[in-house]
Amino acid sequence: MLSPINLVSLVKKRQFFIMLFLLQYEWNRNEKFFFQAAIAYAMSIHLKQEFSVSDVLVCNETPRVSFWFVVTSPANPLLLIDKANVEMAVRKSRNRINSALLLSDTTMEFVGAMPTLAAPVIPATPPWLIVFGVVIGLTAAGIVFLLVSTVVQKKRKKNQKADEEDDDEEERVKTVENGSRSDGVYNASFSDDEPNTQM
Amino acid sequence: MLFLEGVPLFYLELAIGQKMRLGSIGAWTAISPYLGGLGLASVVTSLYLCLYYNIINAWSFWYLFHSFQPVLPWAACPVNSNRTGPIEECERATPTQYFFYRETLNISPSIQENGSIHTGQALCFLLAWLITYLFIVRGVKSTGKVVYFTATFPYVVLFIYLIRGITLHGAINGVKYMFTPKMEELSNPTTWINAATQIFFSLGLGFGSLIAFASYNQYHNNFEHQAIIVSLINSGTSIFSSVVTFAIYGFKATLNYENCLERTRIVLLNTFSLAEDSITIDNVFEWIGKLNKTYPEQFAELSCKLEDCNLESELSTAVEGTGLAFIVYSEAIKNMPLSQLWSVLYFVMLLLLGMGSMLGNITAIITPLRDFKVVSCISDELFNGVVCLVCLLLGLGFTTSSGNYWFTMFNDYGATFSLLFIVLIEVITVSYFYGIKRFDKDIEDMLGHRPNWFWKIMWAGVSPLLLIGLLLFYVINIIQGGTPTYQAWNKDLGKSEQTEYPLFGLAFIGLLSVSSVSCVPLTALYVFWQRRKHAQRHKQQCTVNTVAA
Repeated sequence: MLSPINLVSLVKKRQFFIMLFLLQYEWNRNEKFFFQAAIAYAMSIHLKQEFSVSDVLVCNETPRVSFWFVVTSPANPLLLIDKANVEMAVRKSRNRINSALLLSDTTMEFVGAMPTLAAPVIPATPPWLIVFGVVIGLTAAGIVFLLVSTVVQKKRKKNQKADEEDDDEEERVKTVENGSRSDGVYNASFSDDEPNTQM
Repeated sequence: MLFLEGVPLFYLELAIGQKMRLGSIGAWTAISPYLGGLGLASVVTSLYLCLYYNIINAWSFWYLFHSFQPVLPWAACPVNSNRTGPIEECERATPTQYFFYRETLNISPSIQENGSIHTGQALCFLLAWLITYLFIVRGVKSTGKVVYFTATFPYVVLFIYLIRGITLHGAINGVKYMFTPKMEELSNPTTWINAATQIFFSLGLGFGSLIAFASYNQYHNNFEHQAIIVSLINSGTSIFSSVVTFAIYGFKATLNYENCLERTRIVLLNTFSLAEDSITIDNVFEWIGKLNKTYPEQFAELSCKLEDCNLESELSTAVEGTGLAFIVYSEAIKNMPLSQLWSVLYFVMLLLLGMGSMLGNITAIITPLRDFKVVSCISDELFNGVVCLVCLLLGLGFTTSSGNYWFTMFNDYGATFSLLFIVLIEVITVSYFYGIKRFDKDIEDMLGHRPNWFWKIMWAGVSPLLLIGLLLFYVINIIQGGTPTYQAWNKDLGKSEQTEYPLFGLAFIGLLSVSSVSCVPLTALYVFWQRRKHAQRHKQQCTVNTVAA
């Protein structure tokens, strides 16, 4: 038989400290039972042995809702399962335990265990590239459209000028003689060539 | 600052542009041939601005495109490779900082270490320049139609944000903070220098963009009214948007403060194993006192884990510039309900404002260059395309790993000194070289009435004196301040720390400041030398003629 001190230290090595908070329900015996059942489930899956609720021992409960628990082997009630195995079991089925108790990784903390976080969802194309592609496509289309329309306009002007030059030559000479530009206000924004009056 | 510097100088630049009907180089050459360098200095400063400004638009695009996700990427830390927890760098800093420094910039630890180009950034940068080109491709006609939208839509968004911001929890703390004047800051001359540079930047003084745009105006356009109205609207908008900013800022500070209290509460509950609802957020501080008295040793152990939760200190963690827009604001946005919508709206507004500014900057370069005969033969579209392409290629340097540090250098030193200098020379030139009386007559010619005595006092007296004072303060500050420093991101600590610029960085800063300013004396010397050459040749010809005759 092991001496009491050794027993205590053995137990301490295998004990797991857990803290729960922000519970949506009141913590009572039934909830404790539910927790024990969830741990037994996790252990059964990991070690492939049949664990029952009585194999999970809970002690030192505080009103914070934190407590220590140990898991005993179903074959031998005096044999404690070591922490590493319990930790692996909990990690594997953490998701199920969380949903059973309506808690999450942040609200139920297994002190000393590394949390397993969900794998990040990586889509095939990063979504930002899709939006980027749309916007750059529209911009390129806009630029091409503007350039093409400028070229077309210039060609049209050239043809028009060639026709008008023969007809309006006399008329234009007259307007230059009669009117002077200062009568009307020359609105620069609607003409094609920007007037730069030299000093 | 607005009334002493902003409005008078705005008026002055519009008058010059409208009278001379040339871009900045041509306009100043027309006033006095020796001063063509002033226009050239404006063009160089605008060129620097163009190079680095579009990177902000690239970042806005990046954030905008990343907002189309079910969970905003800067809301939570990504998981590390063995899925045991978040990435360490992200844990030490905040998720928003991590997203900005690591995923957006992939920043290197210092300015010396150049990494490779960040492809996502480069793509967004390319897009920013393509859109800029799209807006200016037809010249000022297309620009005019575009700004109808880019200038008015941000007001809509700002208004929406005002309503959203004011209804946020804790916003009132921020607004209260904004309206309580801090006397120590007001007595610091650096505050006034920053106010002056802000007015110059905000109104676009000294860049040549005002002269460029005014040169397209009709000759008799009433620019006096426009100058006053535009300046007032500009400042009104600044105040309006700062109310919005501080409301959201107050929300973020209050949220951080309450999170801090919550964390303290959890720590206390865990250490002393108390029931869940015994400590609430409101009585955390009472409980701290109580527990300190009843369990002093345990509490002493705790004290290193306990953070100091203080609302005032949260509010005064002032972040400015790009940090405010991308880190602080995105942190506030991620906490709002329907955060994707608010994020999209916010970054669209940032983009519109940024694009609008780019239009002004690019026009300030293109218009003066078009006045040269060499360039005016090339078609509008081709020339604009070449300018955009050159700026794009040069600006790709800002998309590298150390790009943010170069960006900060350009931002801090590229324009401040040059602007102060250029505007000072402008005011002195018009008041004394061109002559206030001549300027008076020109304005009377254009508007139909002479300018008020207020304007004349400003142009001839107050503004130059104020500018000289500011310039002196600025130079003294630089000399007294020691080696210039920048904020380098330390990925092990998860925060930025002040680092001194290396030698080549200091050399570059000097080059930036001096290169634009030196255009003025250099051009004057060149013109002087040219004239002497002509005078000598003319003399020789005369003597030859007389001899021949």
